[in-house]
Amino acid sequence: MWSYTLRRLLATIPTLLAVITACYILVHAAPGGPFDSDRNVSEAVLANLQAKYHLDLPPWQQYLHYLNSLLHGDLGASFRYADWSVNDLVAAALPVSLTIGGLSILISFIVGVGLGITAALRQNSLADYGVMLIGNLGSVFPSFVIGPVLVLVFALWLHWLPAGGWDDFKPAFMVLPIALLTFINVATIARVMRGSLLEVLHSNFIRTARAKGLPTRLVVMRHALKPALLPVISVMSPLAISSITAALVTETVFSLPGIGKLIVNGAGNRDYTLVLGLVVLITVLAVTLNLLVDLAYAALDPKIRYH
Amino acid sequence: MKINAPRHLALLSLSIALAFPALAATIPPGVQLHPTQTLIRNNASEPESLDPAVAETVGANNITRDLFEGLTANDAAGKIIPGLAESWRQTNATTWVFKMRQNAKWSNGDPVTAQDVVYGIRRFVDPKTASKYATVYGVFLLNGKEAATGKKPTSDVGVKALDKFTVEIKTPFPVSFLPQLLSNNNLGPVHQASVEKFGKDWTKPGNLVSNGAFTLKEWQVNSRIVLEKNPHYWDAANVQLTRVTYLPVDDEKADVKLFEAGQNEWVYQLPPGTYEELKKKYPNDVRNAPMLAARYYDFQTKSPAFKDVRVRKALSMVIDRDILAQKITADGQSPIYGLVVKGMEGADMTEYDWARWPMAKKVEEAKKLLAEAGVKPGTKYTFSYNTSEYHKKMAIFAQSEWKTKLGINVELEAMEFKVLVKKRHDGEFQLARDGFVADYNDVTNFLALVRCDSDQNNTFHCNRKAEELIVQAEQSDDSGKRKQLLTQAMKMILDDYPLIPLLQYSLPRLVKSYVGGYSLENAQDRYRSKDLYIIKH
Repeated sequence: MWSYTLRRLLATIPTLLAVITACYILVHAAPGGPFDSDRNVSEAVLANLQAKYHLDLPPWQQYLHYLNSLLHGDLGASFRYADWSVNDLVAAALPVSLTIGGLSILISFIVGVGLGITAALRQNSLADYGVMLIGNLGSVFPSFVIGPVLVLVFALWLHWLPAGGWDDFKPAFMVLPIALLTFINVATIARVMRGSLLEVLHSNFIRTARAKGLPTRLVVMRHALKPALLPVISVMSPLAISSITAALVTETVFSLPGIGKLIVNGAGNRDYTLVLGLVVLITVLAVTLNLLVDLAYAALDPKIRYH
Repeated sequence: MKINAPRHLALLSLSIALAFPALAATIPPGVQLHPTQTLIRNNASEPESLDPAVAETVGANNITRDLFEGLTANDAAGKIIPGLAESWRQTNATTWVFKMRQNAKWSNGDPVTAQDVVYGIRRFVDPKTASKYATVYGVFLLNGKEAATGKKPTSDVGVKALDKFTVEIKTPFPVSFLPQLLSNNNLGPVHQASVEKFGKDWTKPGNLVSNGAFTLKEWQVNSRIVLEKNPHYWDAANVQLTRVTYLPVDDEKADVKLFEAGQNEWVYQLPPGTYEELKKKYPNDVRNAPMLAARYYDFQTKSPAFKDVRVRKALSMVIDRDILAQKITADGQSPIYGLVVKGMEGADMTEYDWARWPMAKKVEEAKKLLAEAGVKPGTKYTFSYNTSEYHKKMAIFAQSEWKTKLGINVELEAMEFKVLVKKRHDGEFQLARDGFVADYNDVTNFLALVRCDSDQNNTFHCNRKAEELIVQAEQSDDSGKRKQLLTQAMKMILDDYPLIPLLQYSLPRLVKSYVGGYSLENAQDRYRSKDLYIIKH
């Protein structure tokens, strides 16, 4: 298992390099540059700015300069947020995104799996229809509709919670964003869990277990749950990545200082270093989460482990 | 120093010294102040920097205006008043002397001296600082442009300390609005010792030494910036607010929700299409002031489609600005038929002779012009704008005006903001949305949009005769003659129709009715927190 993990980690290096290179070319190829603004800057000022950010060097030198800084853990200076380095910006935004996205994914997993199991075990009952309704609502209503409704009800009508903003990890400011992300993720997880468990429950080995006279609880917990969780584990990685790094709508509706907003602002402002820095971060996060998913697969499925 | 000023300049100096109104926030008699003087105001974006030399956007300048104070400042109504300088006088057409107050201090207790101003200005134009405004304002300082472009050392810039509290500023030509210009913090002092000590981190909380009414307490990127009253500020006794929190909420709907939930007391700008509704809902909180700013559409005058002035004129004539203002944008903006907007100084407002014609007559004339130019109904043009609901509504209206009145087909092309500005700058468009907010209240600021060889000229149009008039005006120290020349030059340029003037901006926002000191005459939207106070509620 350790050598497998190590091999996987080493394999991330070429992946990372390929992603950085592709992204580097793309952001620089996008029309418009970091210094294009409503008020055109004069040629002289443009030259000053380009010199400040090493954009006066030939592209390959800029690229090598960037890679060299990256190797030293320096993501560079932000073009848009001139007083901050990309490291500062990531350090400020990541804890917010990790807390909101991480907690929501954890809650979603527990609630979604629970609801999925309930629905599968009572197929075509009221409970099943209820879970499916939640699943469909979560898929049908976009977050930019559900978010403002949550604000309207819990902040403006009931005055229970703040309408948005962020205040040093105070729980009151986290409840609604986490609720929004959870609602959307639960919908996916519950649907996948229900479908997967239903399929497993109809397989031969479960029929055998039942024939042996095992009670349903044991059949589900001991035999059906593990294989039924595999598809859920597969969707957890993309869900976690999107909840942590791409929760733009949630961050906009609730005015949160997270990663999603930085990416969009970075791209819109042609903040090359910020976009590249965040791409590096997301790639590392994606590779790590995929690795965790694979390890979870191995833990859940002996066939994978023995390979 | 011997003063050798022409007579009319000496009189002008005297009048400046005598005409200053009271400096502090004036609290009307009978108004009781709230025991807690704190304000949360949304600023709509994260500032790009709190370094006054680098600050470029309105949002960043709002904060640096609270943190720093230049030789001059503006009051609640936007009028120029003394800041660090107690008084100033013009000793000749291109030389100004500013006498600084001796009780001004930095937030660490150091005195603010003339040397701090000299350092601030030299640093601002220094290519190493790479300020985007270095050449915009630098042109008004002797050798300023040359220093900003690296052709001369910054020590050659026309600013020097005559003694500890006297600054002399020289301009390359008469700049009658220099006091107006100096209220921009880009041209203000910075604390040299802390800049040198902390390097690029000098603007961080704990490091930033400021000389304005407030100091920087906390800065959480994309979350909030908290300022606290500066006890060392020379006029601290008249500053009411003890704490100001700036929010960077860019989503207009989220901004209104925070206001309604009581988490924000100042909505930066109302969401498009909500002005009337919110005015009814919050009649005491809606504030809407006209700004020194214009919305207009550029013609690419070098493109074959718009080389002919008759085509440009026809397209400008048929857009009904009244309907645009009242029904389409419907948020209190005013129609314009020129670039000199209401409140702008340095030139008289002019408008096209057809501006008051009935629409039928305008359409008839426009059709005639198009026929003369050989443009047939069904001709296609492309209009470029940056993706935004507001701009889209305006563009669809213009498209419909051109189609229904002239039979011209205009294809709308939405794009990212950065792509639009690049296209405009490179001239890769036919018709494009544009807009401008004044940096200082003088018509030369707006003339830069249409002058020959100007970086800001997106239309690529050049009227050499008008340019000569502008140059003549710049060399003149007679304000009456200057005004007449600039009015004439602006009219000549606009008669070439390089652009379509549409609306004078106004800024509809929600500000809690208990926030006092908010004047509707502040046309540059420069509300210093120093002038605001919280009424008992």
